[in-house]
Amino acid sequence: MLDGTTKKETSAVTPVTLAATLGRRERSGPQLALRQFARNKAAFAGAMVLALLVIGSVAAPVVAPFDPIQISLANKLVPPTPAHLLGTDYFGRDQMSRVLYGGQVSLYVGLLVVVIAAAVGVPIGLVAGFIGGRVDNLLMRLMDALLTFPPLLLAVAIVGSLGADIQNVMLALGIVNIPIFARLVRGSTLALREEVYVEAARALGASPLRIVFLHILRNAVAPIVVQMTVTFSSAIISEASLSFLGLGAQPPTPSWGRDLNEARRFLEDAPWLLIAPTAVIMLSVLSVNFFGDGLRDALDPRSWRDEGKRMKATRAVQD
Amino acid sequence: MRGSATYLLQRLVQVPLVLVVVTMIVFALVHVTPGDPIQIMLGMETSPQAVEALRQQYNLDKPLPEQYAIWVANAVRGNLGSSIRQHVPVTQMIAERFPISLRLAAVAMLFALLIAIPAGIFSALWRNTWLDYALTGLSIGGLSIPNFALALLLIYAFAIKFDWFPITGIGSAVTSEGGLWGAVGPYILPAVALGVQQTAIVTRMLRSNLLDVLTQDYVRTAHAKGLSDRKVIVGHALKNAIIPVVTVVAIQFGYLVGTTITIEFIFAIPGLGSALLEAVVNRDFPVIQGFTLLMAAFFIVANLVADLLYTIIDPRINYA
Repeated sequence: MLDGTTKKETSAVTPVTLAATLGRRERSGPQLALRQFARNKAAFAGAMVLALLVIGSVAAPVVAPFDPIQISLANKLVPPTPAHLLGTDYFGRDQMSRVLYGGQVSLYVGLLVVVIAAAVGVPIGLVAGFIGGRVDNLLMRLMDALLTFPPLLLAVAIVGSLGADIQNVMLALGIVNIPIFARLVRGSTLALREEVYVEAARALGASPLRIVFLHILRNAVAPIVVQMTVTFSSAIISEASLSFLGLGAQPPTPSWGRDLNEARRFLEDAPWLLIAPTAVIMLSVLSVNFFGDGLRDALDPRSWRDEGKRMKATRAVQD
Repeated sequence: MRGSATYLLQRLVQVPLVLVVVTMIVFALVHVTPGDPIQIMLGMETSPQAVEALRQQYNLDKPLPEQYAIWVANAVRGNLGSSIRQHVPVTQMIAERFPISLRLAAVAMLFALLIAIPAGIFSALWRNTWLDYALTGLSIGGLSIPNFALALLLIYAFAIKFDWFPITGIGSAVTSEGGLWGAVGPYILPAVALGVQQTAIVTRMLRSNLLDVLTQDYVRTAHAKGLSDRKVIVGHALKNAIIPVVTVVAIQFGYLVGTTITIEFIFAIPGLGSALLEAVVNRDFPVIQGFTLLMAAFFIVANLVADLLYTIIDPRINYA
């Protein structure tokens, strides 16, 4: 979505001939993909930042300078100082520590949302695309119905009915994202179903299950992985929104969205409370998106050569 | 054109079908889960008789399929029930609150287009210059900041630090008394916060569409006959590049109306979103149901309008 200019052109260059020109030595597919990924500076930076965020939140008990929950009214609303690098909130809690611990909630929710959505959506897409006919129609109409909700609205309705709780937020956001995976995988399955190697497998007597999981799913993995990164970053924003509205993480649990709600009440006296949660939300969304963009390019061998072609095309336009 | 008509008719027939599924999902969700609205409404220390009487009044004592049937039968006659909490017909709440959300979304979209169309054109016109990079950076930032965080930053900057914009007043009496500024002022900050994401989407899209169109033969012809870069873009390329944007605008508008919740919450705007949030907290079933039905219907219609606009603007498109 960020870069509409990546035009995929079909070319006859296989990874092997590419390897021959690039490195004079044949490399495996994953090796090539990794090489391609490492060359993409934005993607590499995204991966590094993401790694830092994950390490920071996982290691929060070790890294965080203070207890994120312990109330200390003597220190309330302290502006950023060397002791409290990001200041303290109304209850005197160190913002730095809360942001680090808050990552545990946000990143964990993001991860589980992706797992839920993919675990349910991918099989639905595979079944609908492979079997087709009435089953396909029924499943896809159901997915369409789910897609007619603006996602946040549906999530609010689901969380509202299940009760305000971080577990329910995960479940709601997972459900909201199921149709996206289902449609994506159904599309790939419809195309892959007609591939010669699938026909060959069928002719050899492979069972439908074997065909679906071994031949079709394996070749549909790249777009699924890319979609996972997109879903991950949107889940982080949605979780923050729901927690901000008081429907997600409950106090005193540190949470980026929830802490912004607290910050809202002391905007005038403690504007520094706004900065850290906003910055970490943006950083995680950005890093995941750059990571995903890089992944998409690295996993699609056809785009590797496009770089040169596209530059030529732009130059032609400019001349 | 005939093919398109049939296609649109097919889509139109699907609308009630999708709405039935949508309402069933919401109905099941709201009712299967624990939490009795009557108990919440009356508090814990009421007689069981009073609770039972109210449950009967709202048909909550009937089996679930029957409740759904009753609700659908009433809904098609334009009766969406009454709020358990506020004792007001849901349709009346919609009539009061929907225009406010709609206006907010419209101002947000207007803001988005006012910024995004020039930004997209400049980005394509001066591609790979510092201006393009700056606009791209801003767009990516706009896509990654949650709208409520942006809203808080805007409030701090423009309402607290510099007292330039009012932050409350939408839907209140002040609005009608304060003249033009009184009417428009309160919408500006919420609409900007709400519309930034759409600004980014439209900018990125217009830029890449323009760059795509610029590689086409007729653009080269226009260049060949000696037209300047600017004339080619505004006079020739823009016409084709803007078609997909129109569709996105229609879809995004439907989306905006459904995502005003956080913004309405921050700015205390009495629109659909804030009412829905309140209803969710109080488990006010009829309100949740009626509002989600309305928003889903609006979203579907926005998508249909997008399709329709597409065929009208671009005669080459035929869905047959």
